[in-house]
Amino acid sequence: MALVHWKPVLHRPPQETPGVIPRWKRRSFLGRQICRPRPVFRSICCSKSSKDDRKRTRPIVSSGATQTPSLADVDEAKLLFTETFPLKRPQTIALQQDMILLLHICSEWDQPPPEMRPPDSVVIKDYAIETPLKKGTSLSEGHIIYEAQIDFDSNIPISAIHFVLKEEETGAWFQHKGRDFRISFTDSSNGGNTVDGSRGFSIWPGALNQIPGMLLKAEGSTSKQKYSKDTKILKHDRIIARFNKEFPILKEEFVSNFMTVSLTRSEDTHQKFVQFDTDLPGDVVVHWGVCKADGRKWEIPTTPHPPRTKIFRQKALQTVLQPKEDGQGNWGLFPIDEETSAVVFVLKLNEYTWLNNMGADFFVPTGNVINSLAEFGSALGTETSELVNDSTGQAQVTAEKDNSVTYSYEIIKEIKNLVSDISSERSKGAKSKEAQESILQEIEKLAAEAYSIFRSSIPSYAEPVTDSDLLKPAVELTSGTGSGYEILCQGFNWESHRSGKWYAELSAKTVELSSLGFTVVWLPPPTESVSPEGYMPKDLYNLDSRYGNIDELKQLVKRFHEVGVKVLGDVVLNHRCAHYQNKNGVWNIFGGRLNWDDRAVVADDPHFQGRGNKSSGDSFHAAPNIDHSQDFVRNDLKEWLCWLRKEVGYDGWRLDFVRGFWGGYVKDYIEASEPYFAVGEYWDSLSYTYGEMDHNQDAHRQRIIDWINATNGTAGAFDVTTKGILHTALERCEYWRLCDEHGKPPGVVGWWPSRAVTFIENHDTGSTQGHWRFPSGKEMQGYAYILTHPGTPAVFYDHIFSHCQHDISKLISIRNRNKINCRSMLKITKAERDVYAAVIDEKVAVKIGPGHYEPPNGSKRWNVAAEGVNYRVWETS
Amino acid sequence: MELGLKVNQATAKLEPFLIAQNKVARKPATETNNAACLSLPRSLRKRAIKVGRIRVVQDEAVVAEKRMKSTKLSKVNPPRPRPPIFVGLPLDVVSDLNIVNHDKAIEAGLCALSLLGVHGVDLPISWGIATDNSWSSYLAIAAMARDAGLRLRVSLNLHGHEHPNLPLPKYVSRAAHSDPDIFFTDLSSNRYHDCLSFSVDDLPVLGGRTPMEVYEEFFHNFRHAFSDFFDSTITDITVGLGPNGELRYPSFPPPSNNRPIIGVGEFQCYDKYMLADLKRHAEDVCQPFWGLGGPHDAPRYNASPNLGNNFFKERNGSWETPYGQFFLSWYSGILLSHGDRLLSVASNALGDLPTPMCAKVPFVHWWHNTRSRPSQLTAGLYNTHGRDGYESIASIFAKHSCKMIIPGIELSDRDQHQELQSSPESLFSQIVTACKKHGVRVVGENSSLIRVGGNGFNRIKKNLFDNNMRLDSLTYHRMGVELFCPENWPLFTEFVRSMVQPKWDSDDKPNNEEAFSIIASELGNDQEMQRV
Repeated sequence: MALVHWKPVLHRPPQETPGVIPRWKRRSFLGRQICRPRPVFRSICCSKSSKDDRKRTRPIVSSGATQTPSLADVDEAKLLFTETFPLKRPQTIALQQDMILLLHICSEWDQPPPEMRPPDSVVIKDYAIETPLKKGTSLSEGHIIYEAQIDFDSNIPISAIHFVLKEEETGAWFQHKGRDFRISFTDSSNGGNTVDGSRGFSIWPGALNQIPGMLLKAEGSTSKQKYSKDTKILKHDRIIARFNKEFPILKEEFVSNFMTVSLTRSEDTHQKFVQFDTDLPGDVVVHWGVCKADGRKWEIPTTPHPPRTKIFRQKALQTVLQPKEDGQGNWGLFPIDEETSAVVFVLKLNEYTWLNNMGADFFVPTGNVINSLAEFGSALGTETSELVNDSTGQAQVTAEKDNSVTYSYEIIKEIKNLVSDISSERSKGAKSKEAQESILQEIEKLAAEAYSIFRSSIPSYAEPVTDSDLLKPAVELTSGTGSGYEILCQGFNWESHRSGKWYAELSAKTVELSSLGFTVVWLPPPTESVSPEGYMPKDLYNLDSRYGNIDELKQLVKRFHEVGVKVLGDVVLNHRCAHYQNKNGVWNIFGGRLNWDDRAVVADDPHFQGRGNKSSGDSFHAAPNIDHSQDFVRNDLKEWLCWLRKEVGYDGWRLDFVRGFWGGYVKDYIEASEPYFAVGEYWDSLSYTYGEMDHNQDAHRQRIIDWINATNGTAGAFDVTTKGILHTALERCEYWRLCDEHGKPPGVVGWWPSRAVTFIENHDTGSTQGHWRFPSGKEMQGYAYILTHPGTPAVFYDHIFSHCQHDISKLISIRNRNKINCRSMLKITKAERDVYAAVIDEKVAVKIGPGHYEPPNGSKRWNVAAEGVNYRVWETS
Repeated sequence: MELGLKVNQATAKLEPFLIAQNKVARKPATETNNAACLSLPRSLRKRAIKVGRIRVVQDEAVVAEKRMKSTKLSKVNPPRPRPPIFVGLPLDVVSDLNIVNHDKAIEAGLCALSLLGVHGVDLPISWGIATDNSWSSYLAIAAMARDAGLRLRVSLNLHGHEHPNLPLPKYVSRAAHSDPDIFFTDLSSNRYHDCLSFSVDDLPVLGGRTPMEVYEEFFHNFRHAFSDFFDSTITDITVGLGPNGELRYPSFPPPSNNRPIIGVGEFQCYDKYMLADLKRHAEDVCQPFWGLGGPHDAPRYNASPNLGNNFFKERNGSWETPYGQFFLSWYSGILLSHGDRLLSVASNALGDLPTPMCAKVPFVHWWHNTRSRPSQLTAGLYNTHGRDGYESIASIFAKHSCKMIIPGIELSDRDQHQELQSSPESLFSQIVTACKKHGVRVVGENSSLIRVGGNGFNRIKKNLFDNNMRLDSLTYHRMGVELFCPENWPLFTEFVRSMVQPKWDSDDKPNNEEAFSIIASELGNDQEMQRV
């Protein structure tokens, strides 16, 4: 819908005729036209409703003698047509300095607690605060830094800070890729047990990096500058390493410019010229072509071409306009030949900026079309005039401001386009292909647009745990801690390697395991191993083991995924068996893809004569312990873990013997491999005094917590403490042990439930090894405990496929039904000699032990949901 | 707008004339219109929308003409028209606050679909949201679709949703507060809060009115509100018959962790009204003990049929006993009569409109290869070995001239888990066969967008082109982030393009004369829009 002003214009080079194309604002230009007494012939068409007396014959006005700058002699030129197009040019401009930081906390629009609010903050409704940014104290590299400091106490459970930026003056909002800026503290929110003290971080969208503006000064347009702005966010945190993130902030605005195109014919030579005149600054390239006869296809104009012209892919010319003498804009004069029916063009400002006519090509009819417009009328006093041809070729003026008319006009145009497109298309196959391409592109663009909006607007009502969140852990802090609703199944025992086709056997049980309610399965170590069980790995990239080959493993993982179960790989990182002996006959030279030498082995185990550093943990004496302090070792292991994730499809890790090396290395591995869930085996002995287990096992659980802490909370750990205490409590009927002095569970689950993976048996403690077997016959009490309590419970394979299955599945469905998760609220209601009882999330009550217990009679009605020997579980109805 | 449409009609009527003359006659019309130039994408966007709108008029005006003509020209049977494709709008396209959700995305999405050649969209209307006669947001979307040149299939959902949150009307929750038994209830007294139990259909449980009366009023209100759209835009009205809009019991487990539903499900007959009806029924057949409750040996939701419990056992399961037959016929009978009743109410309110009705059946294909087919039984479809449960449903649909929507058109046997003994293909063809027998037209639907993938599209195509199936149309669910995501969108576009733009064989390429007629007539099928 181009604005078309037809008027006789004297053809002169623009620099000499400032009055003809006024430096403008369009409105004043129109006003002037209207007020001026001399006859002005403006457009064109008359609607059927316009009165006859307004129709006039269009005068063709000869221009006076003018200079022609370069090309041809157009002294005696006849102006045939002129049209001025408004242009909108995108421009990156500065952010105003008065920024307001709109801050809101937590994923779901909660207002920050009062003690977190920086001074000068303004409360916005009940979900956010606005904090003005201040000029910072520090100047870096001459940039001014704007910052806001937010201090908060880690005891406040917040999971993330969201913020957006608002430009005070314009009220414009700035987001990050269409979403809030987000600083996540996911791990710290769970770490309330172990961390205290205060933390703080600063935000400074500052560094006003002033780049000299490209620019143009057109009269009437405001002067512009271009800045790029960075936002830096720093977070200091005791347990979380420094956190620093930069977001670019750019702002685009449209600037109005104009382009006037006139068509002239030289009286002498009958050569036609198209003249371009624009206030666009800088280099302006006209990307143009001509249409012949009735076609609408771009063709290359005949020679001669104007100077500074390139041919673009045999389809169009690209001509650089000449700057005007006063430096404010550009102009050009292009010769065209008689057969040309129209000139089409778009403007190119730079590689990325193209201008067109409100979405369409600029189109300038030349040649006979003009002559066929037999009648013209003027429509003085109207702001908008539209050029419309009806099917008989008559010109009309619609001189109405009414939008609906504009609308119908478009419809008419569409019909025409459709008809003409179809006709020309049938004759020109090539063109239809082109057009089809452009439609496809358009579809892609629209789809991408829809996609980005849909994607960014999802969280408005999202569930606490959405699939997409699970699949893509937060980028800032990867955390292998799952959704909190996991129930693990250890999918093997110590004998599983015997048949040689465990993967295939387990494959037949995937549906059953899923239907029992497990969400995660832990598979045996997959690598080639010196021992058949897999815990003495040799070539890490060889996944043919006694459990089956790599294809069977992949198939198994796929099957589990199909039924919605995630898969943990058992990775042994502490030690690795060597392929070769060194010159002393010691086995410490590795082969396979990771052909490390003795530098990869820790120095402090004399058996293996390693040349690495000292071990950062305890030693496992049966095989060379790997020195994780070596960069090449860590890089190789990271690469291996990522390969396992990708190749096999593992969703996470069970980390073997993590006592053997520092948890900080585990953090590295977790961050590199981004597992959905990870759990480490940190197993050492509980505290005993004179052969009797101490009631207080804080030292033991502290060691496990310390390890989790060293991993930065990126992995959980098996709650060995709880298992140990359960042993004694059940064996000796000392159920009082299940409550620590603070009224909490005495194991890891009492201190850091979201990182505790509770279990009662595994392939080492039970199965055919029986290193530390759970009291026989009391397993269901143990499961009644861990499956109702917070923490992430793990169930051992042997128990699932035993007479206990039915009872275990009942407990699991109670857990799922009541949405008990690793962070559920636990209240211990009884811990006496012969009975322990607790209420979880006020929805489920459990008692274990032979003693009597009934859930409190309050407003709720408790129904027995499961029971067995010495345990009972209730649900509220 | 008025003006625009008038001109459209004029042009549309001109068309045959121009064609009949000769091509030269057309030329002035095309040539003089070069004022608008070869479009770049942005203008195309607008244009295609407008073109789409024109098409609505041309459809009627021109197509008839063309059809006459083409029969004259060639006696060859024209290929069967391809089933039109609809795309479902997001369930929460109007949120529970009665505002249009992400309207910008919807708008862009509608344009993209229109350009792509999709026939229309499915607009889900939630009873709970439109209940106060507040239709403005829905009308706004309908207008958006119409302006994008798309047809509309309206789904009247009488059920609620947890995610996205689309609750039932407030007065239902109020009524449920005093009488929770108006909701479906399972053995462990879990209530399903998103749909009223079939047992209260004709009981005055909603403030003195029966659900059926309330549904009927809702249909009338809808009809009144959308009166502007019936003539040209709305092609079908889908009536939701139960949970998830399907004629079924909510036998699936309560949602947890987005896990796929694979177990057998549970019977939902434990609200007091159901139990009372069961008791009455048992007394009628002189077996009062049968009426004391549901089967005691039915397994839990996620169990597989052969784990522990007896009811669904392959051999000598309780389902085959006289008691089992008694219970299952009663259970499925309640479902059938609910469907029948609701469709009658809907035909009373909407039957005289030119738009046909549709309704959806569930597609419970797990354990279809077993003899007892437990998950179909718990859903209320008495479709065991040797007993066709879909015949009776098809006959009810036929009685009300209602099309049947079958979700699951994209599923093929080999993608299923063997242990689940599932067979979507044979179930699909069983339902289609039942429909064919009763003359019910079938609309295909995908069961889950996320799992469609390349194989799924091939399967859909196979089903759509299967001459035995003769599907009426396809609804593809749903617009949203998954539809437009880079993994899915290319597959979808390729699929739609292959559906709406068949390649001409060289010998059935029309000559020029014919070409015009085909172009004009097929505009309705968006065919040419691809090439314009």
